[in-house]
This record gives sequence, C-alpha cells and structure tokens, in this order.
Amino acid sequence: MGKKKFVLFFCLFVLLSGCATRPTDPEELKIYEEINDPLEPMNRGIHAFNQVADKAILKPVAKGYRAAVPAFYRGWVNNFFDNLSQPVHLLNALLQGQFKDAGATLGRFVTNTTFGFFGLFDVASEMGIRNPGNDFGQTLAKWGWDGDGGPFLMLPILGPSSIRDGIGTGVDAVAHPLGWALWNEQELHYGLVGLDGVSTRERAMDLLDDLEKTSTDYYATLRTMSRQNRRKKINEVLNKQEPDEKPDYEADFSDIEWED
Amino acid sequence: MKKLVLFLAMLLTAMTVKAEDPAINFVDGLTDKILAEVVTAQKTQDEKERLFHDAFTEAVDLKGVGQFVLGTAWKKSSEEERNGFLNAFTDLTVKTWADRFNMYTGQQIVFQGTRNAERGQIYVDSVIQDKQPVEVIWRLRPSKESYKIVDIVVEGVSMASTYRNDYRAFLQQNGNSVQALTDELARKSREFKSENKNN
Repeated sequence: MGKKKFVLFFCLFVLLSGCATRPTDPEELKIYEEINDPLEPMNRGIHAFNQVADKAILKPVAKGYRAAVPAFYRGWVNNFFDNLSQPVHLLNALLQGQFKDAGATLGRFVTNTTFGFFGLFDVASEMGIRNPGNDFGQTLAKWGWDGDGGPFLMLPILGPSSIRDGIGTGVDAVAHPLGWALWNEQELHYGLVGLDGVSTRERAMDLLDDLEKTSTDYYATLRTMSRQNRRKKINEVLNKQEPDEKPDYEADFSDIEWED
Repeated sequence: MKKLVLFLAMLLTAMTVKAEDPAINFVDGLTDKILAEVVTAQKTQDEKERLFHDAFTEAVDLKGVGQFVLGTAWKKSSEEERNGFLNAFTDLTVKTWADRFNMYTGQQIVFQGTRNAERGQIYVDSVIQDKQPVEVIWRLRPSKESYKIVDIVVEGVSMASTYRNDYRAFLQQNGNSVQALTDELARKSREFKSENKNN
C-alpha cells in the first residue's frame, strides 16, 4: 500500500467509525469528560488491529528474542538504544528549561558513551545519575499545551497516546540521531529501529501479559494507566508543587463508607 | 553547655518521632513481613499464595475499595453480589501478585515521609530502589487498631482508579451486571492457573 492510499484509507476509517455519543445525563457526562476519548470507536479499531499484529508478529518475535539472547546481552541492546536517544532527551530538557534534567542527561550520555563503551553498559545508573528522559510531548505541555494534551489516541503499533503526545512521539523520532547518522544507510537504519522495537516489546512483555490476563477490558485498562502515568511525567516538568492541591492520582473516596 | 544538651535532646526526640511515624511503621512492617515470611520464604507456591491471601485481606480495606471500583453498580447490588465480587477480585489479584514473587531480587523499599489527605487519610511516600527507581505511594485510612490500605499508586498510576476504569467499561458493555463481572473475574482466575501450569 502506497503512502497516499494509506492516508486515504485512514481518513475513511475515521469517518466510518465515527465518534462516541456524548451523554446528556450530568453524572454520565462527567464520566465521559473524565475519560476524554471521543474517538473511542476508531481507537478500539486500532487497538484490535494492534492486538492482531502483536499476536501474529511482534510478540512471537519478542519471545524468540528472549529465548535466543541471554538477559545480559539483552541489557546491552537496551542500554545502547537508551543511550542513543539521550541527545533528543537533552534537547527537550533544554527546550523545557529543565536544567537539572539536562545536566543529568548530558552527564549520563558522556559517561555511558565513554566509560560505558558506546553505551553498552549503563555505568551512569550505577553512579546514581538519573535518567529523566524528557520528550517533546512534555515540551509542548511546558509551552502551554498542558493537561492530557487533547483526546486519547491509540496509535497503530506504538499504542496509547494523546493528540499532543502523538505529535511529540513523531517529532522525537525525526530528531533521533540514528536517522541523521545513517541518512545514506536506510536499510541499516530500519534494521536498528526494528531491533529497538523488539527490545522494547520484550521488556514490556511481563507487564502487558499480566494486564491482558487480569483486566476485563484491556483497552480501557491501557487507556487509564497510560494517561495516569503520563500525568506524572507532565507534572514533573511543569513543576506543579502546590501543597494544598489534590494530587492527580488521588482517587475520589469522599463518599466511601469506612467500616471499623 | 546546657544549651547544647537541650539541643541534642531536642534533636534526639525529633529523630525518634520521625523513625516512629505510625503510618510508615505500618507499611514498613507489612512489606517486611510479606517479603520475609512469604516472598523469600522456603515454602511451596500454593502455601505462599495462601499466606499472601490472608495478609492481603487483612491489610486492604476491601469493602472500601469495592465501593470505589464498582461506583454506582455497588450501590445497586445486593450484599451477596458484593461479597461474590470481592471474593473473585481478591482471588485474581492475589494470584497475579503471587505469580511474580520469583521476580523479586532483593530490592529495598526506602520510605521518604508522609502527607495528610482528606478524612484522616495518609499518603506514605516510598521508592523501590532498582536500576530505574520506582515511586510507590501508599494511601492509608486509619482503622480501629491501626491502618487499612485503600490505594497503591505506582509511578503515578492509582490501582483503585485503574480497576474502576476497567470495570466501568466492562459493566457498561454487560448491562451493569455485577454478577457478570464476578463470573468474568472468576473465569480469569481459572485461566490464570491453568496457563501457569502449562509453562
């Protein structure tokens, strides 16, 4: 399928799947706004596609990778790609004015590239240097697009996101040094991106298996967990530390009756 | 000299007060006990699961959590439906956690302090020390003798909110039937067991 055809197909898909209906009952409306997923029919469609692709290709490959490569070497792969993404994190930390994060990121990149032998060993973590991992979604939040960053969005293959964070993921991918360094070696570039993907999928395996096995609605579980975790990451760069304010993770227990 | 002694005395009291924060002691004691007597103990997996089940039902305010995660469905359900749900919920949660006991490789929990929340509730802030540290916040409410856990927040993700969102989506698609949810959780528990035996 060509690029143009894909875009056309995607637009058709959005049109055909339509939007979730906005409820009129005030209590229901409150829940609807809290969930903030007006594109739910489309998102669930993408989720179903992701599930199929995962079961057919991604997960079996990740399982094979886990079986074939010992944990020690898988650690190398993970460290190597994590180190390569640090320049993008550094750029974002600077754009966000998060100078402590920028310092830690630069320190970790220099340490791991040299003493860590091109990033294969994560010496920085052993030295207690943080890994803040600032991204462009956070940068957009810092520049004013705060909150959840628009409606929930399930990305093909990449998974849960929002409008803002989806854009962020795209910008970070374009800025990634690997693409620039291997400009004339596209095959090698895609190969490495693929390996990074397999490594990422392998590391998420136990958590995702648990969630799928224990949740009654896997899609709803992924949606709420990714959003809650994202709120924490966004708040970290907004430096919101008002003591009287309710934390974002505070579930509303105001009308729960305690016993004893 | 007198001033120095007084200062030292004050410092010592401050330190002991800090070390004996009852909410921290509760979580610290609980996690220590579960790690020593269940997770790392020389026992069979079935035995570990049973012991963890007992510790879990004692430490967690299940009725409170049940009210929150089921929301309006809780209010509309009978005593029998509620208990059925709580049993199935506990069963599946205990199985999930017990299945991961062998992944524990000696990580330490460091407690950083407490914060007050509404209605006498307390947040206990902690970090699990690992290559990538994990922030865990324990939300407690006071009970007759000590405390009950009402929520655990891992890296910003509240377990109570997550279950609530999950079950709300299921209930919406299944006519708000608590019985259907209970059956689904029981089915998941059975599947969990058989799948692990095959591994």
